[in-house]
Amino acid sequence: MLTYILRRLALALSVILATLVSAFLLFFAGPSDPAQAMCPETRCNATRLAAITKSIGLDKPLTVQFFDYFKGLFFGRDFVYAGDTVHCGAPCLGFSFVTRRSVNEELFTRFPNTIVLALMAAVVFVTVGVTLGIIAAVRRGSATDRGLVGASQVLGSIPYYVLALLVALYPVILWNVLPQYSSISAGVGPYFMGMLAPALILGFVTSASYVRYTRNSMIETLSMDYIRTARSKGISERTVLYKHGFRAAMSPIATILGLDIAALLTGTLITEQIFGVDGIGRRGLAALKAFDLPVIMGTVLIGAVVVVFMNLVVDIAYSFIDPRVRLS
Amino acid sequence: MPEPSAVTLTEESDERASTTAPEHQDVRTGRSPGQVAWARLKRDKVAIICSVIILFFIVVAIFAPLLVSLEAIDPITKAKADPGTVHTELVDFNGLPTVGASSAHWLGVEPRLGRDLFARWAYGARPSLIIGFVAAFASTVLGVVLGLVAGYLGGVADKIISWVIDFFLSLPILLLVLAIIPIMQKRLAAGGDLTPEETSTIRFWVLIVILVVFGWMGLARLVRGEVKSLREREFVQAARAIGVPTRSILFREILPNLVGPIIVSASIAVPAYITYEATLSYLGAGLVEPTASWGRTIADAQNLFATYPLWLWPSVIGLSLLVLALSLLGDSIRDAFDPTSRR
Repeated sequence: MLTYILRRLALALSVILATLVSAFLLFFAGPSDPAQAMCPETRCNATRLAAITKSIGLDKPLTVQFFDYFKGLFFGRDFVYAGDTVHCGAPCLGFSFVTRRSVNEELFTRFPNTIVLALMAAVVFVTVGVTLGIIAAVRRGSATDRGLVGASQVLGSIPYYVLALLVALYPVILWNVLPQYSSISAGVGPYFMGMLAPALILGFVTSASYVRYTRNSMIETLSMDYIRTARSKGISERTVLYKHGFRAAMSPIATILGLDIAALLTGTLITEQIFGVDGIGRRGLAALKAFDLPVIMGTVLIGAVVVVFMNLVVDIAYSFIDPRVRLS
Repeated sequence: MPEPSAVTLTEESDERASTTAPEHQDVRTGRSPGQVAWARLKRDKVAIICSVIILFFIVVAIFAPLLVSLEAIDPITKAKADPGTVHTELVDFNGLPTVGASSAHWLGVEPRLGRDLFARWAYGARPSLIIGFVAAFASTVLGVVLGLVAGYLGGVADKIISWVIDFFLSLPILLLVLAIIPIMQKRLAAGGDLTPEETSTIRFWVLIVILVVFGWMGLARLVRGEVKSLREREFVQAARAIGVPTRSILFREILPNLVGPIIVSASIAVPAYITYEATLSYLGAGLVEPTASWGRTIADAQNLFATYPLWLWPSVIGLSLLVLALSLLGDSIRDAFDPTSRR
């Protein structure tokens, strides 16, 4: 067991390290010049460009830059801006080229918005998806079942961003049925109400696959011998379904859920962009447009860590549930 | 509607189902799993309807110039409509069109630039379909080759490929793709000013390459698993024992057993890539002007959605319908290859 965990841990760390190196090479060595992007177009000249390049450390060799970035991640580092020394504690993600604010601050103040959105969506898709999936499984073959499966197939097949955009445009902006996003500083009530529209559409679309997972898992479980045994002992149908069937059917769903929440934390980018939610994905997108490399690096790094960590947790948890995994 | 199988919970169960396919074959007629699937698909109403819709869009894409030429000559510009020409004389000083939908412009003209919207729509079907099919084909080839190599050779090759698969699957792909596309574009376009058309063409192929680079892992993993179990089977060992060369074993003994999962995976990949292209175009990292693209049109049209819905809706409907039809057809193909969903 311990060797399995250690092996998975080593794999996870190597993936994060490789992500860091490749992202670094791509962005810092790429042909896009961040100094050029920061240099005001009308008053840009060679001296000014050189000064900007020096001030953000882009004149140093690539290996030095990478080492500095790495050192900052684990031990923190000092930045010198116009004579002032600013200390940036570990894990230091550097300073934004554009806003000059600490990337940690930029990203970690926005991360809660992303988490709230992802969790609210998760509540929607777990309750809706699992409930409808069980209904479909219990009434297998009926019109209800066919309708639910068909609807979930259709909902899951239309491009997500189109659905989200239509919800943002019509019910939210045009008809004012649901409130628009407002930041938490405008009050807790409006904040959560504003999260409702993005969380609902994200949740509903994700629930489409949960209807099918739950239905399939439930049908498979209900065809097991021990369910027949339970029925033949005269246990009520309700107890058979919910105590014997449901519990066993849920363990694969729990696995998928772990992976989906990780995917949601990095995948809310489109939702955030369309509904104007001030989360980490939207910030990353803005950084991309401005060639704001430290913010891009920070976003990619946080995304990779979240996905890798959740993968690890799910794998290890699963190896406890199903001992066969450890042997492969 | 086909009864979805009870064991399609994960990809692994799909795998299991497809390996058992040959054993469940109808012995009397001796048809291959592919023939069985084809016969079932032909009886599937959803699959037929979806195929008709997909065929409609393919026809629109191929005959776009012909369709656009059916529009009447515009009384103001005295010209036939085409997707590229800007007609500022058809918009007022606010950028809103002065002409509505008419025989000359079936869907009206684009705000600000005055381009014919029907022409933009018809030509917009082209990049979606080309990107979807080309990227699906290329990533399928890449995934199959890497999966075969990893699964059959094992050892170091397997370790490296498996690690790369895990690595790619852990990346925040959307964000990386969004970052890489402009960088690759700049690198390829470096040295010399390019016309918008050239830039647009470069972007088109960059997009396909990126989609393939980040899209082969699922199939490679699936093929690897299948090959690992197939190579221990008697018929492969027999082939090896009588000295059949490795290449023939891979392509003549093992690959034919994987036709089902490969076709299923490719058919599901097409709508996925079309969606991806449209999403990237919407977020500003996809196709660029002057290429007509549904994703870009949706992004541009959202600002005027209330006053000018004819700009937004044709692309929304075209994209949704095409992707929906392709996805449902993919589901039907999967059910057709799945022996456990047999009625």
